[in-house]
Amino acid sequence: MAVTERSSQLTKQSNPIVSRLRAVVLSKEGILFLIMIAAMFILSLLTDKFLTTNNLLNQLRLVTEIGLMALPMTFIIITGGIDLSVGSIFGLSAIVMGFLWQDSGWPLELAIIMCIVVGTIAGFINGLFIVRVGVPPLIMTLATLALYRGMALGVSEARSARGFPDWFFDLGQRQFLGIPSQLWILLIAAIMVGIILARTPFGRGIYAMGNNELAARFSGIPVRLYKLVIYTFSGFMAGLAGYIFTSRISTTRADMGTGLELDVIAAVVLGGTSINGGSGSIVGTMIGLILIQLLKNGLLLGGVKGDATIVIIGAILILAILINNLVQRRTGGD
Amino acid sequence: MGATLELEGINKQFPGVKALDNVRFDMAAGEVHALLGENGAGKSTLIKIISGVYRPDGGTIRLDGETVLFNTPREAQQRGIATIYQELSLYPELTVAENIFMGHAPRRKVGPVDVLDWKAANTKAQEILTSLHIHTLDVRRKVGTLTVGNRQRVEIAKALSLNARILIMDEPTAALTEADVEQLFSIVRLLRERGVGIIYISHRLHEVFELADRVTVLRDGQYVGTKLVSETSENDLVSMMVGRTIDNLFPKLDTEIGKPVLEVRNLYRRPMTRGVSFQLRAGEIVGLAGLVGAGRSEVAQVIFGINPAESGEILIDGQPVTIKHPGQAMNHGIAYVPEDRGTQGLVRQMRIRENVSMSVLRAIRAGIFINRREERSLATGMIKQLNIRAYSAEQVVNKLSGGNQQKVVVGKWLASKPRILIMDEPTRGIDVGAKAEIHRLMSELAKEGLAVLMISSELPEILGMSDRILVMRGGQVVAEYSRAEATQERIAAAMMSETAGNGAPESETVMIDESETA
Repeated sequence: MAVTERSSQLTKQSNPIVSRLRAVVLSKEGILFLIMIAAMFILSLLTDKFLTTNNLLNQLRLVTEIGLMALPMTFIIITGGIDLSVGSIFGLSAIVMGFLWQDSGWPLELAIIMCIVVGTIAGFINGLFIVRVGVPPLIMTLATLALYRGMALGVSEARSARGFPDWFFDLGQRQFLGIPSQLWILLIAAIMVGIILARTPFGRGIYAMGNNELAARFSGIPVRLYKLVIYTFSGFMAGLAGYIFTSRISTTRADMGTGLELDVIAAVVLGGTSINGGSGSIVGTMIGLILIQLLKNGLLLGGVKGDATIVIIGAILILAILINNLVQRRTGGD
Repeated sequence: MGATLELEGINKQFPGVKALDNVRFDMAAGEVHALLGENGAGKSTLIKIISGVYRPDGGTIRLDGETVLFNTPREAQQRGIATIYQELSLYPELTVAENIFMGHAPRRKVGPVDVLDWKAANTKAQEILTSLHIHTLDVRRKVGTLTVGNRQRVEIAKALSLNARILIMDEPTAALTEADVEQLFSIVRLLRERGVGIIYISHRLHEVFELADRVTVLRDGQYVGTKLVSETSENDLVSMMVGRTIDNLFPKLDTEIGKPVLEVRNLYRRPMTRGVSFQLRAGEIVGLAGLVGAGRSEVAQVIFGINPAESGEILIDGQPVTIKHPGQAMNHGIAYVPEDRGTQGLVRQMRIRENVSMSVLRAIRAGIFINRREERSLATGMIKQLNIRAYSAEQVVNKLSGGNQQKVVVGKWLASKPRILIMDEPTRGIDVGAKAEIHRLMSELAKEGLAVLMISSELPEILGMSDRILVMRGGQVVAEYSRAEATQERIAAAMMSETAGNGAPESETVMIDESETA
């Protein structure tokens, strides 16, 4: 969004509609979108199983959890922070839910709520230490990455919860209005969070903090409160994602979500959010998320072997970032 | 060892701007030649050409009569041209001697291997410092632990270790205390006697008169003229710089002084705020003078809630208030224009519009959203009111000159419609024109009934603008003068000595790093 406007100054002499269009296309998000379309076109030539509504919707279903966690991660990375513990919070929340329902005999509805509450608390603890004690986010969440995972292992004692009632799978495995149920949640959350980031004082504060935290504080922006909010939100989303994931795969295991934080971060940074903070957008994150998943799926369907798939995805990610840097530099976008 | 330098017909074009247009400059051996001009006049570009950072698009440079062209700063250094930039370029984690000999340390043989000889470096560094009459600086100390003044001395020693014959100093006094400035001047005079030529850039005209032999003025990338300092006056130079005559640099208007708006009583926040009490009335400009490290900015930041008070009272309109963070201070109508606009005042990567609205984001909402139209009109209004030179409110602040950046900070705080305005070094490092504009603005604001607290290290500014002057030392207010009784000598004495002023500080008072400032 910010980028779109920035490049629009450069072309302001020409026809306003043309220049606006040009600005949108040449923005980080625009370029990424074009790369995604190009990738989809090539993949659809490899196999006719790829470009079908069913397959695409199903792929989106698979990335809902990562997508939900990528929303707060976008905020966090824009402020120059990071949250490495989301995969562990995701696992811990789901395990607690399974344990409360199966071992402690709680009603499943209450266990689901506790799943989200546990995630929120875990995120709040991250935020509290980062804000109050001043632990760098990387260190704090690296520590809780291990801590929360350890707690998940301790609670579950290596047993898994299974045998959930049928209604529990409505969210993860069924459709609502012809679209996978959980996709609605991602869609609504992404739109809301995107608007909050782009249009509200809170969102503006996030960008200001990422560019110059001291100046933001000197301007009366409640920097510490905002940080606490985004890390807590990150935990909330990880808890929610843990619930949706359990509903999708029907069981909980203590190692679920291991390494998931890297997928989340990859979607955010591929989407154009600067790892140094200060710039980024939800639209970019969503495109980054979808691009990675479609590559994985398309290459698989196209018969590319597993190891080669990872290599190709890595190469394409680097390429996408290079192309974007080149274009942004040429147009003076940044 | 002296060198002569002549530049003729120098041109330099950057995308969109002609930075230098047919500029000339010359200097003799052992001359102090001041370079003056508003920000954006081309001074920095010119010295970067002399020191080999930029290559000119046209024109000739002659060193000792021989035409030269430097491709890199290193080539210029090898010919004896050294530069001391505003932002000092030392390594804080290395010692004084290591910094001085960075890249050209003496070596010795250990068997077949050439190793750096730090013992010799220490001795040589000490010799250089002694030759500058600097006796108290330990060459084994880490540079990061030194005061700004001492770091600058290290920079100068570094230049001399490279046998510099021409030394370029870019605003060397901008961050120095008065005592450090004095010592810098004596070093400059010493170097001049030794035949080192010095190109001296400063916004402070009195320094030019105190130090320089000749002065060259640039304006908008063009050469305006060169004069012997002995044959010119401040008014002359100012009108050369701005192309117009400014009769009064400090247009202080007479105001009606009203009731006390802000009062602080026995405010504590250790180590730098130790029992500060004063009053600030509506329509009044109070100057807060003191050396760097006297605790002036710290008091301002206590009042503004950045580092809340440990004890003591803050009263607004006679009512005690709690201020724990800047948001609360802003709710009470306090605004703080901080000392360092780059790191504290602005988010330079963001636009003018976004910076100006930053203090009022909650006030210009439509529902939960920022009202974009109101935000834009606020920013364009400030651009007009403060005469900010920018092509639109959408311009990124980074691209503005220092003076215009400062106006954006001021605009941000005026947008919050404050009743109490604290300005910390409001005109540091900005050009004469912008400075006069900011002074006029402060004066007008006071006339409208604002209470202004102005922290400044420039005594003429303090004397010119203030209705009342407070002097701080060691975290306390040690003296207070009315406009009528204040003189430069009195204030300077109160700032520096232990005995002058009304309330002498207690024995526990510590100045930051006394050994350093001595």
